[in-house]
Amino acid sequence: METYASLRNLKFLLHEVLNFSQLQQYERFADYDDEAADMALDAARQIADTYLYPFYREMDKDKAYYAEGTVHTHPALKEGIKALADGGWIAAIDDYDAGGQQMPATLLHAGLFQFYAANANLAAYAFLTQAAANLIRTFGDEKLHEAFVPDMYSGAWQGTMALTEPQAGSSLSDITTSAELTDEGHYLIRGQKIYISGGDHTAVDNVVHLLLARIKGAPAGTRGISLFVVPKFRLEDGELVDNDVTTAGIFGKMGQKGYVAAHLMLGEQREDCHGYLVGSPHQGLKFMFQMMNEARIGTGLVAAGTASAAYYAALKYAKERPQGRHPSNKDVNQEQVLIIEHADVKRMLLFQKAVVEGSLALLLQCSKLSDIAHVAEGEEKENAHLLLELLTPIAKSYPSEMGTLAVSTGMQCLGGAGYTDDFPLEQYYRDIRVNAIYEGTTGIHGMDLLGRKVTMAKGKAVKLLMQEIQATIEMAAKHSQLADMATQLGQVTRQLHKVTLSLLELASKEKPEVFLADATLYLEYFGTVTIAWQWLKQAAISNAALEKDLSTDEYEFYQGKVFTCRYFFEYELPKTSGLAYRLSSEDRLTLEIEESFIN
Amino acid sequence: MKLLVCVSKTPDTTTKIKFTSDNSELDTNGVQYIMNPYDEWYALVRALELKEAQGGSVTILNVGPAENDTVIRKGLAIGADEAVRINADPQSSLNVAKQIAEYAKGEGFDIVFFGKETIDYNGSEVSAMVAELLDMPFISYASHMEMDGNNATIKRDIEGGVETLSVDTPFVISAAKGLAEQRIPNMRGIMMAKRKPLKVVPAATFDDPVATVSYELPPEKGQVKLIDPENMDELVRLLHEEAKVI
Ligand SMILES: Cc1cc2nc3c(=O)[nH]c(=O)nc-3n(C[C@H](O)[C@H](O)[C@H](O)COP(=O)(O)OP(=O)(O)OC[C@H]3O[C@@H](n4cnc5c(N)ncnc54)[C@H](O)[C@@H]3O)c2cc1C
Repeated sequence: METYASLRNLKFLLHEVLNFSQLQQYERFADYDDEAADMALDAARQIADTYLYPFYREMDKDKAYYAEGTVHTHPALKEGIKALADGGWIAAIDDYDAGGQQMPATLLHAGLFQFYAANANLAAYAFLTQAAANLIRTFGDEKLHEAFVPDMYSGAWQGTMALTEPQAGSSLSDITTSAELTDEGHYLIRGQKIYISGGDHTAVDNVVHLLLARIKGAPAGTRGISLFVVPKFRLEDGELVDNDVTTAGIFGKMGQKGYVAAHLMLGEQREDCHGYLVGSPHQGLKFMFQMMNEARIGTGLVAAGTASAAYYAALKYAKERPQGRHPSNKDVNQEQVLIIEHADVKRMLLFQKAVVEGSLALLLQCSKLSDIAHVAEGEEKENAHLLLELLTPIAKSYPSEMGTLAVSTGMQCLGGAGYTDDFPLEQYYRDIRVNAIYEGTTGIHGMDLLGRKVTMAKGKAVKLLMQEIQATIEMAAKHSQLADMATQLGQVTRQLHKVTLSLLELASKEKPEVFLADATLYLEYFGTVTIAWQWLKQAAISNAALEKDLSTDEYEFYQGKVFTCRYFFEYELPKTSGLAYRLSSEDRLTLEIEESFIN
Repeated sequence: MKLLVCVSKTPDTTTKIKFTSDNSELDTNGVQYIMNPYDEWYALVRALELKEAQGGSVTILNVGPAENDTVIRKGLAIGADEAVRINADPQSSLNVAKQIAEYAKGEGFDIVFFGKETIDYNGSEVSAMVAELLDMPFISYASHMEMDGNNATIKRDIEGGVETLSVDTPFVISAAKGLAEQRIPNMRGIMMAKRKPLKVVPAATFDDPVATVSYELPPEKGQVKLIDPENMDELVRLLHEEAKVI
């Protein structure tokens, strides 16, 4: 049995569900055949087994701490980052001639899932650096590439994304950190950033912040925000010198205790914090959104990975712990049964499997769309881009919200033991929770989906998704065992469409507050239908595989898929009718209630 | 230095082993294969270290059918320069050894590396046979090796201690734990592996003088018995009477 992530499932999704090798038709990915992908996944597993998983618990117990201006992290961090860098994973997606491997995001993310499941609190440092370097590579000039990217790819320097300020979290238009152009061409940065992940630590020689600030005199709101590279140490005459970035402290947190979130003061000591503009002025938020979109898929992967590790811990326990007897057996002289034999425990395990593998399927589907959007041309590119935009808030929020419930259910499988620190469930539970908060709260993603994504390109993205779902329904309908589920998904999708139209009608008639009041519920609704689509697809492919002569392991693998799909359609998908009810209701109670009534 | 590393494939350690109905062959349905760990972790990596320190080339060699290419390419990904597959499916160690010797005899290898054994059949036979067929000295179970010019100082763990040996090239060596540290292939190596030469050599014809009659699985493990830590007498009794280990 697996300990934190199923390699078999990753290979199933990559090869059997997503037809990974199709990407070879694009010149950029021509070298990526199935064998190369498998070898990469196996290598990722070895790194995860050796450098990440063994330190998951330790990094929580010996948590990062701040003393005399320095953030100290667990010794395993330096080696772990180095292993990921030496393995070629930090630079993986960049061009061959820039030291990368032109790796498709589909494969990168399958690798990342294993790293995050093994120890997200370590791996996240490395892949934050990757995202920051990618931003410099995409929008920065040659000078910035040369000055920063090689040391980031080697793992010697940390990259961060520095957006949040005390008064500007969800509302980035309220950012006040300032940037003033000097005669020498750099900007002087002043302000504060809070909750900056990887913002400072001793496992690297330098920290490179990709930071949002407002150039003096810039227009108010999001149109006046620019993107800067702000290093902790800047290069002057070949030497690294202090760049007036002070770490005021790190936040004490519920979980992810090895993954620091720092409070940074920029230019507060000497007014000598240099920043280097990335691209043109006032485009910062647009550029940053590229990074945030990747980071959102990344957050989904962290959540799904954490829930995966929790699931395998719960599954192992359920297969070892004897407790109670079947309801039909009252004979206390007979041995107790393993808890996995109880229907309710099976239900709890199926819930976790459904969330983990359904989320992962959607995340990798998004990754493939991002690859196609990157390399294809014309309509194919545009369609992939639109679908990816539509699915990103779901791929971020579903694993984060449902993953938290899944880990909680995993803890339940262990009973009292799950609540103690003899088992890792309590840590998974603490660690997963933040995913629904950072990279945009679920509430913000709900509004993004309903307020922007559903209507963009005149609703074309939704239309494309409906076509994809319909294709899966038709594929599944050919299997008599799946025909009922195919019909059910058709009905639920039509209902979702109807609810969407009625909400859009509301938008045209009433003020946005009415239309968006329950956007979070809409996101949940849309997400559940989307995951059902992913499950039906997996079940159809598995059902076809079951017609072949299979080894016991393979037979069990595919049966597991079909049963989990059945679980999803019996237990999870019907919950959408409650959501449809609320979203169609004309009761405006959250708008009508006065704040003082909430007391 | 010209180095040859002979590698074989073995079922993944997590594979549930089954045999065909007459128990004479492994049932390969659904079996996942890996490179034999002693070949990969110790023999191949030590050969690569020598090449990195002193120059030269590392060739990996496998005797087997085309489906072994995946395992061979992993060796290339870890860093071997080229690979040779002798296209045969021999059924005995002697046949494998003769195939390897037939290829290696004209190639002028300075050192021929093997893992100390494969983790499936545990034969430890082929390396010694190859040494004999090539008329080279053979050192088995090497856990440490240093080169000085064409002379090697090799250590091997023996019962209760360590033996140190000295040998000049060319020689054959079988690698045990400690000879090197496992290397994880990096993405560059993985992507380069496809572009490195993998030469397929036709098999020579040799007999299989030994035939496998049947395999048996070990008896199922008994249930775990938990004994109260206070009850040492019961533990001693069980170890004596049931487990029969004292
Ligand atoms: C551990 C950790 C690491 C982080 N790492 C980083 C990092 O590396 N870089 C970085 O820049 N930031 C980082 N953050 C910050 C994170 O992105 C913000 O916390 C998050 O975006 C929410 O902002 P906030 O905390 O100000 O909450 P608020 O914006 O105050 O939100 C509070 C609540 O109000 C709701 N809300 C807010 N606005 C609206 C609205 N208009 N309509 C409806 N509901 C609304 C939210 O959904 C939420 O439920 C991190 C945070 C944490 C906890």
